[in-house]
Amino acid sequence: MKKALTMVLAALVAATVFAGGQQEGTKADDGKFAWITESEDGVLPGVNPLEVSGDIITAGSSTVFPLSEAMAERFADEGYAFNITVDSIGSGGGFERFCVAGETDIANASRPIKDKERTAAAEIGREPIEFRVGTDALAVTVSSNNTFVKDVTMEELAKIFTSEKWSDVRSSWPNEKILKFIPGTDSGTFDYFVEEVYDKDPSALLGTSDLQMSEDDNILVQGISESPYGIGFFGYAYYVENQSILSVLNIDGVEPNKANVDAAAYPLARPLFIYSDAKIMKSKPQVAAFIAFYLTYVNEEITRVGYFPANESVLAGGKQAWLKAVEGMY
Amino acid sequence: MAEIDMNWYKPKPKYHEKFIQWFLLFCAAISIFITLGIIIILGQESLLFFKEVSIVEFLTSTRWQPMIDEFGVWPLLNSTLITSFIAMAVAAPLGLFVAIYLSEYATDKVRGILKPILEILAGIPTVVYGYFALTFMTPLLRLIFGADTVDIYNTASAGLVMGILILPLVTSVTEDALKAVPYSLREASFGLGATKLETSLSVVVPAAFSGIAAAFILGLSRAVGETMIVALAAGAGPNFTFNPFKAAETLTGYIVRISGGDISYNTVDYNSIFALGLLLFLITLTLNIISRRLVRKYQEVYD
Repeated sequence: MKKALTMVLAALVAATVFAGGQQEGTKADDGKFAWITESEDGVLPGVNPLEVSGDIITAGSSTVFPLSEAMAERFADEGYAFNITVDSIGSGGGFERFCVAGETDIANASRPIKDKERTAAAEIGREPIEFRVGTDALAVTVSSNNTFVKDVTMEELAKIFTSEKWSDVRSSWPNEKILKFIPGTDSGTFDYFVEEVYDKDPSALLGTSDLQMSEDDNILVQGISESPYGIGFFGYAYYVENQSILSVLNIDGVEPNKANVDAAAYPLARPLFIYSDAKIMKSKPQVAAFIAFYLTYVNEEITRVGYFPANESVLAGGKQAWLKAVEGMY
Repeated sequence: MAEIDMNWYKPKPKYHEKFIQWFLLFCAAISIFITLGIIIILGQESLLFFKEVSIVEFLTSTRWQPMIDEFGVWPLLNSTLITSFIAMAVAAPLGLFVAIYLSEYATDKVRGILKPILEILAGIPTVVYGYFALTFMTPLLRLIFGADTVDIYNTASAGLVMGILILPLVTSVTEDALKAVPYSLREASFGLGATKLETSLSVVVPAAFSGIAAAFILGLSRAVGETMIVALAAGAGPNFTFNPFKAAETLTGYIVRISGGDISYNTVDYNSIFALGLLLFLITLTLNIISRRLVRKYQEVYD
């Protein structure tokens, strides 16, 4: 059924492309982007959203979703008048649609792209370019009604998500079942957690009892907050948004906060990315514009969303990658 | 001698009549082809699944976690059955009594008010029922039985609300069955001195038994296939438990969760949803066939 839907969508996309070139966005006569204005940061060309035309389709990580959504909103607030879609379907799903189906312009991801996804992309003529947009401190949270867990070690963390009862992990904890609420297997957050905590082997985590999985982080938030003996993890932004009903745990005695993320002290800090492709950015100037806009202003939005700025040098690396991808058009 | 035109009675060929006939046949055929198409797709994709997974494991194992090669359908099937039976425990008695009231007792005026209200109940989107389960029924259950006993996602809450959802269906089919009982039977009963209640319960209901059974089975089949309520309220992880206060994902809930996450095509996880779909289809098909048989049986008796 999904395949059929994809085919219908593909047909629709094809139809709109044939129907009119205006969907492809506008280029100035000299082959340069029409939306260029005075540069904000001295590196990337400035973006005038009023001059940007054509739709943008993005999909992927539910962790990156609030950030991309905030950037899309700002883009629209400043005058972009077309549609930008931000689908929250998990990093794996995002790459599936970007690299295999080829339906999206940008993939949001909370983990780096895998080799097999790059290979798949090459088969449809896409070469994914990575742009680092920020840093997340993966938040391990319990209900605010939970008074017994405040601090866990990495070893205990691994044990909690594979044990049946709290008392199995630490004898002073109650003899109650551990209800686990975690992101689905398609999620970059799941992959990251398995890689960091279980050395890339998901079988223990997936084989555990009382496990609830969802690609929708709000379902996890609700599950954890309403279960005194529940625990789960997701991107820090979802904790920030629900601080009144959740408590975040310190890992190895380190609290997830800006200072500890900057100092690389928090063990579960991880990079957030968006991916696109040079050909897409050239043929759809709106995509190049949005990414330039994203990279220029991301640090003004990221804290409000609930993540942490990436360090200056990696952000600058992304900007250089942008300049290289669309060389000659600015 | 004037010749009589022997063809006078022959109607002129009416092409538009023919056209309409063909068009109607075409419309009827479409629905058959769609059904066939669904069966073929389900069969094909399930075949891919059963190439990799033994059907014995599928039907006997009690663990379901495709990512780590555990393919026992029982955790999912079990919670589908639990939610459906809880739903029937609500809808069957309630539906029967409402139908008896509507068919035997209610005046036209009362029926005129009650029936539209029941129909409104049937028209509420199931996603609304889902949130009703999550934000009203679950907190209510937790208030009664304690938050430690009742999980935030649980099959009892989903089942109870599903009972409300299928109530109008059960009621209206049951009422039809009761109405189909000839009035002469009631008159005979009254003639023997039976009260209205005795007539309703001992004459009309038994006479309409097969129709009522058909209504219940139809309701059950609707409950088995219901998706949105269980996806929202019953839980998002396979769990083989008979405790209705624990979270346990149903067949439909799993299909929704897996297809919502855009998983890779042609993986076992992806194909597994078709195998589950086929299983669901077979369950509801069997239930529907049984209910049709029953309906036909009772029609034969009184026509």
